[in-house]
Amino acid sequence: MPLDTSTYHLSHALLRLDGRRWNELRRLHAQISTQASADGSSYLEMGNTKVICTVSGPGEVRGGGGGGRKEGLERENAIVNAEVSIAGFSGVERRKKGIGGGGGGGKGDRRTMEKIQNVIAAAFTDIVFTHLYPHSTIVITVHILSSDGSILAASLNAATLALIDAGVPMKDYVVACTSGLTPPAADIGEGDASDPLLDLRGGGGGELRFWGGGGGGGGERVCVCVMESRVRVERVEGMLAVGVDGCKQVREILDGVVRAQGRRVVGSVVRQGGR
Amino acid sequence: MTSLKRSTADPYATNISSKVFVRSTKSGKVQKIVRELYLRQDIPCSSRLCSICLTNAPADANGFIAPFILSEKPAGTGNFPTGHYLVPDTNALLNGLDLFEQKTGFYDVIILQTVLEELRNRSLPLYNRVIGLTKSEDKHFYVFFNDFRLETYVVREHGETINDRNDRAVRRAVSWYGEHLQHSLKTSNKAKQCPAIVMLSDDKDNLRKAKAEKLSACSLSEYVSGLEDANRLLDMINASRQEQGSRTTIGQQLYPDYFSLSRMMTGIRAGTLHQGIFNVSPYNYLEGTVHVPAFDKSLLILGRENSNRAISGDVVVVEVLPKAQWKAPSTKIIEEDTLNKNENAETEEGATEAVVSEQERRALQEEVKKTHGNNIEGRPQPTARVVGVTKRNWRQYVGHIDSSSTSVATQGRRQQTVFLIPMDKRIPKIRLRTRQAEALFGKRVLVTIDSWDQESRYPIGHFVRSLGDLETKGAETEALLLEHDVQYRPFPKGVLDCLPQEGHDWSVPASLDDLGWKGRRDLRDLLVCSIDPVGCQDIDDALHARPLPNGNFEIGVHIADVSHFVKPNNAMDAEASIRGTTVYLVDKRIDMLPMLLGTDLCSLKPYVERYAFSVLWEISKDAEIINSAFTKSVIRSREAFSYEQAQLRIDDRAQKDDLTQGMRTLLMLSKKLKQKRMEAGALNLASPEVRVQTESETSDPVDVKTKELLDTNSLVEEFMLLANISVAGKNYEAFPQTALLRRHAAPPKSNFEELANQLKVKRGFSLRTESSKAVAESLDRCTDPKEPFFNTLVRIMATRCMMSAEYFCSGTQSYPEFRHYGLASEIYTHFTSPIRRYADLVAHRQLAAAIEYEQLDISLYSKARLEEVCKNINVRHRNAQMAGRASIEYYVGQALKGRVVDEEGFVMKVFSNGFVVFVPRFGIEGLIRLRDLATPEPESIFDAEEYVLRVSGSIKVKVELFQKVVVRISDVKEEFTGKRKIKLDLVKS
Ligand SMILES: [Zn+2]
Repeated sequence: MPLDTSTYHLSHALLRLDGRRWNELRRLHAQISTQASADGSSYLEMGNTKVICTVSGPGEVRGGGGGGRKEGLERENAIVNAEVSIAGFSGVERRKKGIGGGGGGGKGDRRTMEKIQNVIAAAFTDIVFTHLYPHSTIVITVHILSSDGSILAASLNAATLALIDAGVPMKDYVVACTSGLTPPAADIGEGDASDPLLDLRGGGGGELRFWGGGGGGGGERVCVCVMESRVRVERVEGMLAVGVDGCKQVREILDGVVRAQGRRVVGSVVRQGGR
Repeated sequence: MTSLKRSTADPYATNISSKVFVRSTKSGKVQKIVRELYLRQDIPCSSRLCSICLTNAPADANGFIAPFILSEKPAGTGNFPTGHYLVPDTNALLNGLDLFEQKTGFYDVIILQTVLEELRNRSLPLYNRVIGLTKSEDKHFYVFFNDFRLETYVVREHGETINDRNDRAVRRAVSWYGEHLQHSLKTSNKAKQCPAIVMLSDDKDNLRKAKAEKLSACSLSEYVSGLEDANRLLDMINASRQEQGSRTTIGQQLYPDYFSLSRMMTGIRAGTLHQGIFNVSPYNYLEGTVHVPAFDKSLLILGRENSNRAISGDVVVVEVLPKAQWKAPSTKIIEEDTLNKNENAETEEGATEAVVSEQERRALQEEVKKTHGNNIEGRPQPTARVVGVTKRNWRQYVGHIDSSSTSVATQGRRQQTVFLIPMDKRIPKIRLRTRQAEALFGKRVLVTIDSWDQESRYPIGHFVRSLGDLETKGAETEALLLEHDVQYRPFPKGVLDCLPQEGHDWSVPASLDDLGWKGRRDLRDLLVCSIDPVGCQDIDDALHARPLPNGNFEIGVHIADVSHFVKPNNAMDAEASIRGTTVYLVDKRIDMLPMLLGTDLCSLKPYVERYAFSVLWEISKDAEIINSAFTKSVIRSREAFSYEQAQLRIDDRAQKDDLTQGMRTLLMLSKKLKQKRMEAGALNLASPEVRVQTESETSDPVDVKTKELLDTNSLVEEFMLLANISVAGKNYEAFPQTALLRRHAAPPKSNFEELANQLKVKRGFSLRTESSKAVAESLDRCTDPKEPFFNTLVRIMATRCMMSAEYFCSGTQSYPEFRHYGLASEIYTHFTSPIRRYADLVAHRQLAAAIEYEQLDISLYSKARLEEVCKNINVRHRNAQMAGRASIEYYVGQALKGRVVDEEGFVMKVFSNGFVVFVPRFGIEGLIRLRDLATPEPESIFDAEEYVLRVSGSIKVKVELFQKVVVRISDVKEEFTGKRKIKLDLVKS
């Protein structure tokens, strides 16, 4: 069994169980335009958390349930919807098929999914130039293939890429990562070294979770901030700083992916044009 | 669809590995965990010789870079003249950790992560000791995270065992350190010599491979042989594992096999096996009990075979024996040293003996023959046998070498085997291999148990160190501290650094605008005084009382404001939390906090201003509490009284000043408070308390006196109880989940069964036990007009039926469980002695937050952390009490040395072959065995129902429970052990 986090304090090394330091992201790998059939798509890995995202739209309001259509027609702006599903094999233990189908397990699971959907929808409603597409809808669909913490952050990042792929104009990237705190050492005499941590893994054992998402012009605007547990107020500033810093790193990586894709597209256009 | 294959240009690709492991959860499911592993190159070697690592050493969130640990010029030995760093593998630590803790050697040690993780799996106590070493500033132990460093990470090969992989990882790290340091020294162009990197291992295969790879490697004994003092050090290597592989002849199996872990788990889940802590009776080393959750009463474990190598304190799994094999608990005293003396320790290796010696077998047979009566003492009890040990709670043991256990006097380095007789009677003899047997005779010796194999009748251990000659004050005091796990080393520098810079010159700031005054009430004009035992230096508490215009009184209890000086989580706080309490021995005090605080800056000394934490009440004439308030304050005590002085002052009618009047008010109210408490059902229990008077210069004991209790003792006690109860309520209201409280559980009815029966049979009293009030009332009735001490004797015996009070965190119990049975209070905590108890310090911090004086430290919000604190202070509290008692016992023994005294005593317990007598004057109890009465041992008839032992033959006596006897107290030196003991002889029955 590996050493626990508090043990790593003693060497002042502050290494985490996976060898990362407090301020390091996991390996972030992303691809864009992974599914030709969709308007926009992406695949993103943050460590062992793996998600696929597709975007359809902006398009005509689909006949959803209830008075959705009518309401949509009257609106000046596009509506952003998000659908999130989690694969049965994504976690350590296989999920039981839930009542809701689609893989959502118990009540708690469904609630988590709903929360993630709402956060994604709200974030992008704010960032996408929705006024350009009156009476229409943009649907973001996220499939979580493998879950090892930070699934909301991974979903947001993947959605940003998929929206760019779909050519939806946005004010800026929405980039996200988690930050948390090392647990206060349960050992007596260990001192109270509660340090901020960036990019939390799943099942990390007692890490406090706080979720910071950032985006906007110059990359300094925080547009989403979700707290998953109670944190003492004087710790928040430190966690936020670490989270914003992490978001900057994420932005650079996503930007690199987008630009590489751009070059590839331009290249192929040029080649086709030359023929 | 585009391929999702990862691009090869991934910058991380070479540094990522993944770790796959399988774990099983509590519910029995098996999970496969996949974890990425990020390998890095910025993990420093931490050698002060290295300049490469210094440039890319990592910083934490506050920009702090850990200083490098390994010395620039490490010590050398004959084999490694240029100096060396040691790299032990796991079995080197398992076999010789005592060596690593030596002050004479073993500096600059690299502890590899691989080794540390393996050690943690093998032995948590050893792991904790290694962690302790890595924190010590002078030992230079560095934890190197080799599994995270790119160059030293080793992938387990197909078909390779985990052990082999780990050994390879150790060798890889050793080789990397060598190359890295040489490279680093070359690039820095410093003309320094590169220290050797020496691998220490007791695994032959690992050593062989290391040598093939041209690494410096040696076994522990090879390495130690090259050091000065080799003989002493060689003794410290674990005896059992050292000979791994070399021992080919397997001896006869003396003990049954343990069940497999899965079988035990299944059994426990099914309820057919039970788990609990193994306790050995102090009167009979062959009788143990295990309390398991499934039953109210403890299960009995009789005999060596059934206890199957469990040692008192171990967590064991037991199986209940068939009813036919149930036995009654012993009514007989059985001591190991009298049964098994003259055993030769060497003969064991012949492997021909049985577990039960002939003498033991005879003793057990007599047990069985014993008459089965109707009372509890005689009835067969559910009896069980140990089928496995889930956790060993072995510690280090103090004892002396049994000089009769070896016959051959040998010289030189030849090892011989001897027995160590532990001071703790519940621990079996320990077999030791030593090269210095003769030098150790007559010494107090500290040893460790290494193992207890099925082939060995006794556990096998090794020597740690000698404490000095038997019976010398230094050796005996240290032995006592070690036996009770009291931390007695001087406070390290880090702790002393937390003290105020001004030292003894510190004073309450003169200006009221000073930050120190913020939130404090100025109570300097109150007539406060303190009342303590004579010569008390650490004054925790002071009191005042003054009349209010409305006829009520204002009463104040002022407690030293220790939390002002000891901030949470600094080195001083950490040390205090580990010590948990101050330990009082007869001639020595082992402080929880440094002297400067305890006896000066915190102590509420008279005539000087001090910070205090005050509890103020308005109390009516009838001792009704009208209201209570809590505040940080500044006070100036007018006088520090001893109990006697205070009593004299109160009793002196001529004294009419306000201070004395205040004390009279306090006394008057305390009597009413006590009355109310008693009416509510508080118990007035007794424990034998004696005071040893010592000559001030030499601290040699002069006389022993029973403590005298004055009204002023009770005055202070009542108000301290009141303060504790008030604070408990306030803290619980503010922190319902995390208040630190103290509870005293009601004893299960069965605890009183025996005493109730004894009282009924012998004196016709009925002991009602349905509530503490009923107990209190029936104890009041247990009097003998002819014998005033009888009531005290019964109270002493009743006290032993009680549960012990314990600290707990409020979130872990429901409110009704908070109750303090003995004090008959719904809620209780400790607040009034923060100088000497850590619990009180925590309560101070919580109260300070509750009244919004300051913010509560985050650690006190954590239930887990508080539970940990409670667990520790509960143990420390108990140990401190036992150490104090043992110290008194030792001094009483010393005071009686060479004297013969006849004293009155009372029979407390009757066995079939002896009885226990309690001597009130000295607070001692001692055994008188039948064979002490006359030689040859007289005949006897034991009537278990009537608690009577009728001795006939060469001497005719009748001894019964509660009987008053006269005993002759003397001290004897047992010939073959060299141990001095108090001996009681019956003079008159
Ligand atoms: Zn280095």
